[in-house]
Amino acid sequence: MSNKLLLGRFIPGDSIVHRLDPRVKLLMSFYFVGIIFLADNWQTYLFLFLFTMVAILLTKIKLGFFIKGVRPLIWLILFTVLLQMLFSSGGTVYWSWGPIVISSYGVVNGIYIFMRFVLIIFMSTLLTLTTPPLSLADAIESLLKPLKVIHFPVYEVALMLSIALRFVPTLMDETEKIMNAQRARGVDFGEGNIFQQMRAIVPLLIPLFVSSFNRAEDLATAMEARGYQGGEGRSKYRVLSWQLADNLTILAFALVTVVLVILR
Amino acid sequence: MKVALTGKRLSARSIAILGLLMALQLVLGKFPVFGIWSVRVDFVFLATFIMGWWFGPWWAGLAAVICDLVNTLILGGSGTYFVGFTISAFLGGVIYGVFFYRQNMSWWRVIMATLIIMLVVNVFLNTLWLTILYKTPFWGILPIRILKDLILTPIQVLLVYWLGTNRNMLSLRDRL
Repeated sequence: MSNKLLLGRFIPGDSIVHRLDPRVKLLMSFYFVGIIFLADNWQTYLFLFLFTMVAILLTKIKLGFFIKGVRPLIWLILFTVLLQMLFSSGGTVYWSWGPIVISSYGVVNGIYIFMRFVLIIFMSTLLTLTTPPLSLADAIESLLKPLKVIHFPVYEVALMLSIALRFVPTLMDETEKIMNAQRARGVDFGEGNIFQQMRAIVPLLIPLFVSSFNRAEDLATAMEARGYQGGEGRSKYRVLSWQLADNLTILAFALVTVVLVILR
Repeated sequence: MKVALTGKRLSARSIAILGLLMALQLVLGKFPVFGIWSVRVDFVFLATFIMGWWFGPWWAGLAAVICDLVNTLILGGSGTYFVGFTISAFLGGVIYGVFFYRQNMSWWRVIMATLIIMLVVNVFLNTLWLTILYKTPFWGILPIRILKDLILTPIQVLLVYWLGTNRNMLSLRDRL
C-alpha cells in the first residue's frame, strides 16, 4: 500500500514530456496557473482545454490517471460549481425560487469554474506523473539558486529536501511497523469515541519522533565521517541538461499566452 | 543583516534532524488516523510545532515551505501548487516558532498559538487562496471551514500541550 505513496504519482515512460528538463515542466506548470486567469470566455477556455488535451496525449499516459487527480477535490468542485449556479443572477432566468436563481449566466459561470478546476489539476497531475521525485527535487534546488543573492540558505535547504525525500519511505514503513506492534498489544486505531481515538495515537507518535531523531543523529555522524563540512564548495553528481525541446516548450507556452490575449 | 535573514548557521546534525522532521511531517500527512464524521485529523501540525519549538521561527517556516513544495509538487497532494498555500505553511511554522522557541510551555501559549494559526491561516488565508485560485465563493465555504476548525482547535491544543510537556520529547530537545 505504501509503495504508491512513497514515489508520488510518477509513472515511468519515455514520451517527449518525460524527457523534458524538470525545471521547464515545473516552471510551465506554475505559469499555467498564471495564464488560466486570462481565460474569461468560452473560446479561451476551449483553447486551453485543447492545449491541455494535446499535452496529455503527448505524455502517452491514460486519461484515467489524470481523472484520479481530480478525485480528492471533488467535493470542493461540486460545492463551488453549485453555489455559482444557484446564486449568480444575470442573463436569461430559467427558474427561480426565493434567492435561488438558475440563470444562463450562472450556468455558464459554473461550467467555466469547473473547467478551471479540471485544467489546473490536470496540468499539475501531468507534472507529477511524468517527472521522477528526485529530478523534481533537483529542479527545485536549481530554481532556488538565484535566492543565494539575498543570503537564502540554498544548500542547506536542498540538502534537507533530499534527506526528507529519502526518508519518507523509511518513516512510512516505520509508522506501519509501530502501528502493527501496538495493534498486537491491543491498541485499536480509529475505534471508539474521539478521546479514545486520540489516546491511541500516543503510543504511536512518541516512538516515531524518537526514532526519527536517532536516525538523524546517525545520519549526521555518517555524513561528517565522509567529509561533509557544509554546503558551499561541493560538486554535483546529478546534473540537469537543457535541450531544444525545452526551448520549444517555452515557445509553445508563449504562443498560448498570445492566443489567449487575442481571444479574450 | 545576514543573521537576521538566515538565522543561525545549521550544523550537519541540525540539518539531518530538520530533514527527518520534514519527512515525518510528510508521512503524518498521509496517516489521518482518526476523525469524526468526515472531518479527518492529521498530525502535520505536530511536526511543524516540533520544528518551531526546537529550531525557531525562521527554520520552522522554511521547513514548512519545503514540505509544502514536496507535498504538492513531488508527492502529488490534492489540487495544484499555489504560492498562497506556501505562504500559509510558512506562517504556520513561524507562529509556532515565535510562541515556543526557547519559551516555557504553558496552556495559555498553546491556546494562543493554536487559535492564531487556526483563525489567520486556516480560516482566513486558506479560504482566500481557494477563492483566488478556483473562484470558490469566499462566504460560501467560510462557515464550513470555521465549523471544521472549531472542532479541530481543542484537539490540537491538547495534543500540542501533551507533546510539548512529554518527558521523552523534552529529553530529545536537551540533546539538540
